[in-house]
Amino acid sequence: MVEKGPIKFSVKSLKGSGISLEDIEIAIGRLAMEEEWEPMGPTPMPKITTLREWDMKLLKRYRPFYMPFCDLCCLCTYGKCDLTAGKRGACGLDIGAQQGRIVLIACAIGASTHTSHARHLVDHLIEKYGENWPIDLGSDIYVEMPISRLITGIKPKTLGDLSYILKYVEEQIVQTLAAAHTGQEGSYLDFESKSLHLGMLDHLAMEVADVAQIITYNFPKGKPDAPLTEVGMGLADTTKPVILCIGHNVSSGVEIIDFMKKNGLGRPGETIEVLGLCCTAHDLTRYDEQAKIVGPISHQIRFIRSGAADVLILDEQCIHIMVLSEAQRVKTPVIATSDKACHGLPDMTNKPVEEIVDALVSGKYPGVLILDLEKAGAVAVLTALRIAPIRKKFKSLPDKADLKKVAEKCTKCGRCRRNCPIDLPTDEAVFAARQGNFDKLAELYDYCLGCARCESECPRDIPIHSLIVSAAELKIKTERYKIRVGRGPILDTEIREVGSPIVFGEIPGVVAYVGCANYPEGGRDVAIMAEEFLRRRFIVTVSGCSAMSIAMYRTEEGKTLYEEYSGAFDAGGLVNVGSCVANAHIAGAAIKIANIFARRPLRANYEEIADYVLNRVGACGVAWGAMSQKAASIATGFNRLGVPVIVGPQGAKYRRLYLGRREDRESFTVYDARTGDRVWVGPAPEHLVYVAETREEAIVMTAKLCLRPNDTTKGRMIKLTHYVELYKKYYRRLPDDLHMFIRTEADIPITFKGEIMEYLKEVGWEPWEKPVVDPTLLERLIRVKK
Amino acid sequence: MSITPWQLGNVPGPKTALKLTGEVAGKLLKKAKNPLIIVGAEALKVKVGEKLLLDYVIEIAEVAKIPIVATSSTLSAFLERGVEPALSMGAIEITDRLRDPEWSLDGSKPHDIVVYVGITYQLQSQLLSCLKNFAPQIRTLSLDRYYHPNATWSFQNLSEKDWIENLNILMKTLKEEKKKD
Ligand code: SF4
Ligand code: SF4
Ligand code: SF4
Repeated sequence: MVEKGPIKFSVKSLKGSGISLEDIEIAIGRLAMEEEWEPMGPTPMPKITTLREWDMKLLKRYRPFYMPFCDLCCLCTYGKCDLTAGKRGACGLDIGAQQGRIVLIACAIGASTHTSHARHLVDHLIEKYGENWPIDLGSDIYVEMPISRLITGIKPKTLGDLSYILKYVEEQIVQTLAAAHTGQEGSYLDFESKSLHLGMLDHLAMEVADVAQIITYNFPKGKPDAPLTEVGMGLADTTKPVILCIGHNVSSGVEIIDFMKKNGLGRPGETIEVLGLCCTAHDLTRYDEQAKIVGPISHQIRFIRSGAADVLILDEQCIHIMVLSEAQRVKTPVIATSDKACHGLPDMTNKPVEEIVDALVSGKYPGVLILDLEKAGAVAVLTALRIAPIRKKFKSLPDKADLKKVAEKCTKCGRCRRNCPIDLPTDEAVFAARQGNFDKLAELYDYCLGCARCESECPRDIPIHSLIVSAAELKIKTERYKIRVGRGPILDTEIREVGSPIVFGEIPGVVAYVGCANYPEGGRDVAIMAEEFLRRRFIVTVSGCSAMSIAMYRTEEGKTLYEEYSGAFDAGGLVNVGSCVANAHIAGAAIKIANIFARRPLRANYEEIADYVLNRVGACGVAWGAMSQKAASIATGFNRLGVPVIVGPQGAKYRRLYLGRREDRESFTVYDARTGDRVWVGPAPEHLVYVAETREEAIVMTAKLCLRPNDTTKGRMIKLTHYVELYKKYYRRLPDDLHMFIRTEADIPITFKGEIMEYLKEVGWEPWEKPVVDPTLLERLIRVKK
Repeated sequence: MSITPWQLGNVPGPKTALKLTGEVAGKLLKKAKNPLIIVGAEALKVKVGEKLLLDYVIEIAEVAKIPIVATSSTLSAFLERGVEPALSMGAIEITDRLRDPEWSLDGSKPHDIVVYVGITYQLQSQLLSCLKNFAPQIRTLSLDRYYHPNATWSFQNLSEKDWIENLNILMKTLKEEKKKD
């Protein structure tokens, strides 16, 4: 592969070199090889501080709010340092900066993980398809990679271009992470600016990863009517050999399906079941909808323990570290395929397929590491075929009759509960089982995260998680739901249709349910939230574990939301974009609205586009069960782009929020780009990252965070109707900040007119002098300077 | 023996909450110059004997004349009972404002004691951590059954019976002290 990249030099260094300025275009490599699709914007390939000014604008309005999860720092040998309440560490750092630093590290881990995922995919795909493989997302998508165009200024055309973009990301992550070293960055605001940078880079890496797999594996290219497939514990036909893929990088799963097809074994489900867990499951079904999704991360240990899988293939991310020992208990061989997750297994990459299969079937090795994906696919299939008949006796949940016996050992010491991440009353449930009542255990099934932490803490070695799963046996056997296959990007044609109603507020908002499954009270909450906004004809986009949890819920009609609502990016549409990396398309849609609908220049024009999104695109992310560092960087990337995010109560452990204060008028004062006047536009959106205590609070806050200064009168009225209705539904009266969003009487929701007028009178509301402005935080966008 | 956090892994650092009893809580609230009670949504689920925690808290607030901040959707439960909280605001939002040394509900004098009750454990722990680290001028009390190391004072992990007993003593102390006035 020939590496293409920029040659770095300064104009100064050219003096006397014999190179004239005309040569520069040629000398800077790939950038210059591009046709001029749009004039280059101000910030191609931004460095750490390039967008610092934008970050500081955001951070002035949305001030970092820290909730330390630990008062100590133990990052260097000066420590541990106690930083409680203003004390400084030996290096001089205080607790605020330390929180900023930890968030930066989390974002760096998240961004690195997606970048390394993207790198693995792109290198593998270049090897398979060549670096000139074209980026073609079909005739309905012209702006193929909005994030890449926006950040790098490159309009990528081939797989090779994606590799080049990743180089930029890799370099920036290294630069930014270095700020976390002892004695480097010291200001919490600058730590935050760097986290925002990492979040932005993360989105770029996700876009590269997802587009690379879409174009080569022929995933749906933004198909609103992508097919329905299945999700649930109860869908594996265990009379057939079963292969379970766990993780996020689908390339090994693809090799399995390809090997099956090539060798006359048909598509998934015909002779062999191919199942996925976590995001790799989404991507398997994007490759072939006959593959099936077991469920989100919570289903990992429980499905392995059920013994249904004959072979486990691990790729990367969100793999439970106990996966190998769990698999050993039910004699399921494990094949690790990522150099980032070797799990101590012997490297058999260079051994012949037959030898590896023999070793796995005979039990010589409980698992192997195979870094050649094609070989891993072959080994998985051949092992599954040979081992399935031998493993039959392991394919069942523990007998319910044994439950009571096991539970009898419980002393109700409570250690299980006090170590459960979400404080589930396991002690009471196990104790009830001791007395023959299994209902309490079965009830926990819908809430349990499946982490098995309770078990490792139980002094009586009671397999609490297994008890929960066994008690819920009936639920599990019938757990089968429909989900729409991840469709990938949003079509340019769709953006053209909805751009105007979104920007003017007639479509009241775009809500994205994303992220992991660390739910405070079960995945059902996410589905209920999504249903609320679908009924209200918001556009609802989903991805990852959240997309699966939403599927595992039936409406009053007995259908899943995917069966009831269309997959179109339109009012009342439920858009499953796909896996975690497909989150890029949600950000991409916001960017495309600015570019395609509003014709804002896209190329390397980050600030202006983010300013547009913040002020005009009523979008809000909800990561109700956010757990991972990836979720931290994804959310932070959305924030830099001007999209607010709500997390669940567990999200408070991320330590940092960005909160606005509605009463701080100055912070919500913007420029009117038409006149240069400074105008207060009300607290819209009020926060950038927010923790909601309950589902109800999250619902009300979601509606509110979709308000934007640019809403037209009609749009504002529609948005306020939803906000007021929801507020009244859950809080039983009018919101006490309503007057801050009503600019003129015309903004008032008709259904509540009388009541609201009375309220406005009470609070002394006056119509705004300048209700309609062209809002911007960027001075340079003022067209007529005063 | 030191008190262990309710969530056993929730060990914050060297500074942890002092053990609270009903009597101490009563005296502290009585002496407070400008106290505040923040009530979360768990108060709608948790019972104190026959009563909902929410109703119990309303009684405490009424006896001690402490303004209530209703977080999340607890507002509706207060309104149903004919009780008008001083403020309805997200638990995060009120805690954010309390970081400002000058801020108070009515703009008079800053709050010196803030009671947290009925917010889901993990979130309440984080909110208390915020004030412990960024608003050292405020002393925080947790009235929940479970030990919150990030508070200034917290009940230790109590059985339901002991917790109710402590709350009853708290109420009694408030009333007694009131009589003395
Ligand atoms: S990095 Fe600073 S605060 Fe942390 S342990 Fe070292 S000296 Fe202490
Ligand atoms: S830790 Fe074990 S013994 Fe203790 S309550 Fe839980 S199940 Fe019972
Ligand atoms: S497996 Fe379930 S019950 Fe056990 S600690 Fe994890 S979430 Fe709690």
